[in-house]
Amino acid sequence: MTAAPVALPEAPAPQGGLRRWLSSPIGAQVTAAVVFIGAWQLLTVIAPRVPGPADVANFLFVEITGGSHGGIVRGQFFEHFAVTLQRFLLGLFFGFVSGLLVGILIGSSTLARALLNDTVLVLLTMPAFVWAFLTTMWFGITWQAPVLTVAFSAFPFVAINVAQGVRAIAPELRNMSTAFEVGRWKQFRHLTVPAVAGYIFAGLRFAIIIGWNGILLSEWFSGQAGVGFRTRYWFDANRYRGFVGWVIVFIVFIVLVDRVLLNRLQARAFRWRDQKEVDFIEIQEEQVGL
Amino acid sequence: MAQVIINRLKKTFPPPTKDGDPVVAIGDISLEVEGNVFVSIVGPSGCGKSTLLNILSGVETPTSGTVSVTEGGRAAHLGYVFQDARLLPWRTVMDNMLYVRDDGDAGETKATRYLDMVGLSHTHDMFPGQLSGGMQQRVGIARAFSVEPDLLLMDEPFSHLDAITARSLRDHLQELWSATRKTVLFVTHDVVEAVQLSDRIIVLAPGGRIFDDISIDLPHPRRATDPKVATLQAEILGRFEEMHPAPATA
Ligand SMILES: Nc1ncnc2c1ncn2[C@@H]1O[C@H](COP(=O)(O)OP(=O)(O)OP(=O)(O)O)[C@@H](O)[C@H]1O
Ligand SMILES: [Mg+2]
Repeated sequence: MTAAPVALPEAPAPQGGLRRWLSSPIGAQVTAAVVFIGAWQLLTVIAPRVPGPADVANFLFVEITGGSHGGIVRGQFFEHFAVTLQRFLLGLFFGFVSGLLVGILIGSSTLARALLNDTVLVLLTMPAFVWAFLTTMWFGITWQAPVLTVAFSAFPFVAINVAQGVRAIAPELRNMSTAFEVGRWKQFRHLTVPAVAGYIFAGLRFAIIIGWNGILLSEWFSGQAGVGFRTRYWFDANRYRGFVGWVIVFIVFIVLVDRVLLNRLQARAFRWRDQKEVDFIEIQEEQVGL
Repeated sequence: MAQVIINRLKKTFPPPTKDGDPVVAIGDISLEVEGNVFVSIVGPSGCGKSTLLNILSGVETPTSGTVSVTEGGRAAHLGYVFQDARLLPWRTVMDNMLYVRDDGDAGETKATRYLDMVGLSHTHDMFPGQLSGGMQQRVGIARAFSVEPDLLLMDEPFSHLDAITARSLRDHLQELWSATRKTVLFVTHDVVEAVQLSDRIIVLAPGGRIFDDISIDLPHPRRATDPKVATLQAEILGRFEEMHPAPATA
């Protein structure tokens, strides 16, 4: 006799909890991670030579803490990671700054465009491993090889994007600046850079991803330390969990940089355009506790 | 008070299509403007009004002829109000005001004062995208006044605004102008507006030539509803109509 309660036109509250969490950004990310680890575990059943998640986690724990020494002796992790990070940042800096300058040149002068545009396009099509080989041939097993590999692979992505952005600057704003006799440097800071910011970010994003790939390759071939070197070390030693562990470190790092650092910078740079978007990202970050 | 001398000025733009003729924006203009006068430049669309201001402000270069804009022997300092506001969308209103100045804190005081004058002191920290079109245009006007120019160029500053906002800004402009008394070149195709604001009206014909040069001797500030103003407006509108039967010889 219990008449089914008439569905009120309300939000679907009862089943809401889990479902809402699952469809929230964090819930979705956690779910994706769980599914991924499950699939991985399954893969080890089919292919026994593939190290499982627990194996790899264990390896990373030892690599980071020094393992059985109970944290008294630090593992190799930080040393290698720091070496790679330094080289990467240095290379990225050179690649980014030169890309920015050349991009602005190509974008603002027809002569520079005629001279440089094709060169940059050729560089753009060069895969990172070519730079890894070439720089190793030029410099041998040194720190310059990975740094330059990063710089060379990052440079054209920044240059092309920035050039495009500069060409897209509204001539009306340029004319306004001319009419009010605004100095060149001031125009660069307040007109060129913000107008091109979106393109700079696109370029930087590509540069980071391509450069990070480049450094792994370069260190793999010519490193005596670093993430790439360490990955190869375990590979050569037939210790596949070491190999997989370092690959994961490599991936996690790039994802974090992209998600956290770049998104943050971007939100800040585009505050003027979309206030809501910033709020959303800030809320997200609060939830994650960053 | 600036001195503007335009001598046999011509400006042609390259043909828009491959085998078309070059576009004559300014056919041949000679003109002198000096002192604290408010000069309007009136004429139908495409007769070279904006081009003329762009040449005076150094944004465009003449094809032939010369222009000189001086103030007591040195190059005059310019302010420019454009047909659209032309604010940097990524900078706040205050930063937009400071963009055209070279002095830090002193500039901020001045900028604040002129923003006050156009009734926008509460928008300092807002981005242009958060203001209405009329408010953005007022920021553009405040910006041009705030550099305290010797010569103020205004290109149809009210043409995108509704009649009521335009009217109140016209009154504002008269106030600001009476208070600061600079040389103003004011482009419009609204003869009524020109009569209300100016001491002198230059009428341009299609093809970029001077068709008429009219002095207006009425005290400032003038109200649009003043019968004397209205009479003059009717008379000048009549003269203006004479231009149209004449074929455009561009
Ligand atoms: N940068 C340019 N390149 C090519 N042609 C141009 C350029 N600027 C203006 N012109 C041409 O010059 C002529 C005059 O243009 P201008 O903008 O000076 O007219 P205007 O009198 O300001 O018209 P309006 O009242 O519509 O603003 C037009 O035929 C226009 O097409
Ligand atoms: Mg115009």
